[in-house]
Amino acid sequence: MKKPILGAFEGPPNERHMLGALQHIDLPMRRFRESDEVDYVIVGVGSAGGVLLQRLARAGFNVVGLEAGPFWDTEKDWVSDEAGSHDLYWEDPRITGGSDPLALGANNCGKGVGGGSVHWAAFTPRFHPSDFEVYTRDGVGADWPISYADIKPYYEQLELEMPVAGPAYYPWGHPHGYAYGPHPMGGVGNALIKGCTALNIPVSIGGPVAILSGSHGDRPHCIYRGFCIQGCKVGAKASTLITHVPDALKKGAEIRERCMVSRVELGKQGRVTGVHYFDLAGDLHFQKAKAVIISGYAIETPRLLLNSSCPGFERGLANSSDTLGRYLMAQAGNVVMGRFDRPVRQYKAPPAHALTEEFYETDPKNDFARGFAIQTVGPLPIAFGKQILAAKSAWGWGLRREMMDYNHWAAFGLLGEILPWPDNRVTLADEKDGHGLPIAHVSFDLHDNDKKLIKAAKEKTMEVMEAAGAIEVVQEARYAHLVGACRMGSDPRKSVVDKFGRSHDIPNLFVCDGSILPTQGSANPGLTIQALAARTADYLVSQGQAIFNSNERNLSSPTIRRDLAPPETWGKGVPRIK
Amino acid sequence: MNITIEQADPSRRPRDAKTGEPLQLTREPGYYPRFSTLSQSPFWDEATRLTVEKRVQSSPQMKFFTEEEWKFWATVFAHLIPQTDRTADRQISIVGPLDHRLYLNQTVGYRYESMPHDRDIYKTYGIEAINQESQERYGGDFLLLPHLHQDLVLKAIHDRKPLSGKDIWKKMSIHRFWQLIMGDAIDAYYAHPWAWDEVGFGGPAYPRAYTRLERGEPEPWEVEEKPYDWLAPAASVSDEVESTAYHHTESDQNSHTSKPRSK
Repeated sequence: MKKPILGAFEGPPNERHMLGALQHIDLPMRRFRESDEVDYVIVGVGSAGGVLLQRLARAGFNVVGLEAGPFWDTEKDWVSDEAGSHDLYWEDPRITGGSDPLALGANNCGKGVGGGSVHWAAFTPRFHPSDFEVYTRDGVGADWPISYADIKPYYEQLELEMPVAGPAYYPWGHPHGYAYGPHPMGGVGNALIKGCTALNIPVSIGGPVAILSGSHGDRPHCIYRGFCIQGCKVGAKASTLITHVPDALKKGAEIRERCMVSRVELGKQGRVTGVHYFDLAGDLHFQKAKAVIISGYAIETPRLLLNSSCPGFERGLANSSDTLGRYLMAQAGNVVMGRFDRPVRQYKAPPAHALTEEFYETDPKNDFARGFAIQTVGPLPIAFGKQILAAKSAWGWGLRREMMDYNHWAAFGLLGEILPWPDNRVTLADEKDGHGLPIAHVSFDLHDNDKKLIKAAKEKTMEVMEAAGAIEVVQEARYAHLVGACRMGSDPRKSVVDKFGRSHDIPNLFVCDGSILPTQGSANPGLTIQALAARTADYLVSQGQAIFNSNERNLSSPTIRRDLAPPETWGKGVPRIK
Repeated sequence: MNITIEQADPSRRPRDAKTGEPLQLTREPGYYPRFSTLSQSPFWDEATRLTVEKRVQSSPQMKFFTEEEWKFWATVFAHLIPQTDRTADRQISIVGPLDHRLYLNQTVGYRYESMPHDRDIYKTYGIEAINQESQERYGGDFLLLPHLHQDLVLKAIHDRKPLSGKDIWKKMSIHRFWQLIMGDAIDAYYAHPWAWDEVGFGGPAYPRAYTRLERGEPEPWEVEEKPYDWLAPAASVSDEVESTAYHHTESDQNSHTSKPRSK
């Protein structure tokens, strides 16, 4: 067939704001005035901000989300194209340095409603119980102020809200199963299964990924087109843009797109009074709020608080501990590539579709603490070209030749835990952005434990690729994800926020995003970020007006409010949580 | 058929592995005969179709570079991703998309602290570094050198073994520079549907879907691979590759090309 029977495919009618192929939202949404003192203003509508916005609106609060990037219409704004997808990533200027500088931008930073959940590969493993007590167990890193038991109900809940597809039995960490069926295998997943099985390593097949294996409400199933990281036009891959934002708007939340918050204002009573922001035209505004939640992720959150320094907080707002910006973490994300005799065509299927966490925990036989996971990745040609550039030092005719074999390669990514170190940090550079705001400087050094772990993880992943039958195995060293730089803890002298994300210094200022994680395990952070956001929302709802008119810090845990989830995500049909 | 001056020189053309004769110029290099992603564009969603078709149809515009700079970088990119096997009407512009990026001052979202701004690199530091190396090795500016010497100058930078430019390489990390210019070359070349045809990448597949996920089987509209052996042109030194898998950190991997003596 040369053409579709009715001619080339056309987009949906113009007036519809589409979120995926079927879902659309009805505008106009509610608009608050700047002079209205709203209950909550949320800075950043990404993984955490989207969930918070939805929960708080559903609980009846007046809430405004300020998002630096656009409010995507997925049909008009997104394309199945690597080069055409740069707007999804945070590509405003930043400086990266230290002895092991991190790549930022497309590698780990989102911009626009949905944030990083728009361009994640959507692997959603839970953290293991051990992750919450790394210091107690291994004498390195830090303990969390909460335990696995505190977050477990929120893992279960968010796995249904996204929802997550995966195997019925998942053997690692706290063993559990997934209610939605696993995905079929692509060539890369088959290679991982073959390699792991040959070495007697258990492997999780077809998930856990926040990608629909069957249609669900007004979201279609996955079509295996492989462009997860360029934004899922299908609407099969979960992002808060399509899972939580529609319900938030229905319940009266407002999202102001293309609004860059420049400063959080501290009032005379030691409480914040709202935020200053630039709109798209560059005009400065001030939104009054009874409480402020920063959800800007591991670089923009500390940057905003550092840029909000004021008398009493000369080192940055809420930074009496001098830990703001410190303990930034990325995971080792080395990509191991294997060339096979037979074609693989690794661009088909979602990049994320199989993994093993067999090496996740500390092993006394190793010369390092903590561990790593091995996952599928499916780089498209541009990404693959850069991997070959690093892994084989290829250029010129050599690069052309290697690339002509693109379809014979499969790629695994390791995910290795790098520990939190105080000097891995975000500070302000002298250089300014287009709004005149100092840009972030990121400094990153690997330490001894990190290097030993990466070496072992790389060697094991290469061994698996060889066992899968690859005739050539090469490797690109890189990093994946970002968390930390605004850590939570019980001790106000050693952390920025408490276990609910409330800053130790200012009672109505909260942080809720990946930056509050004290350690990172070797699980992708997206699920944990959203689970923490739902938990913080429950806390805020349980505290009611006390957040707005009292400085008292109640640290008792809320009960989970499943009724605040978006409709049709739990409690009906299959599956059920009791 | 138009033959460029470069292609008229047989030492610049890739060769048949058996006969050593230059390969025929082709509209479609690679191992997937008559495979065309663009022929499938009616099956793509509208936004994707418009984006990709614009890339193919629009002719490169010079807004950031001067004519001389444009020519300089076009010549460099003809080494980083050579295209003398492609017919003149099917060569993919690399300097065009780069000019556009620099004109809009777009970056990848971060700058290594060991690096100047991208615009300064492409306007001054990069040109000076390459010209100094050309002068040092062969006594002339890069554009004046014979093709093979140009290849050798770039190989010296690829190998991180320049003979000159100490002052410049203090201000600009040589390995990050190589990463930047190669990154821009890859960004432009492999964004093009003609390059997708060359490597056998199926391209956009929304809303139609991919259905044959296993064993590398082609969709009905894809084609089976038909590989052939070929040799790089005689006047080139870029065909060698070396696995760098002995490095396990990014900073080590990108700052060295040869194996460290101690392990």
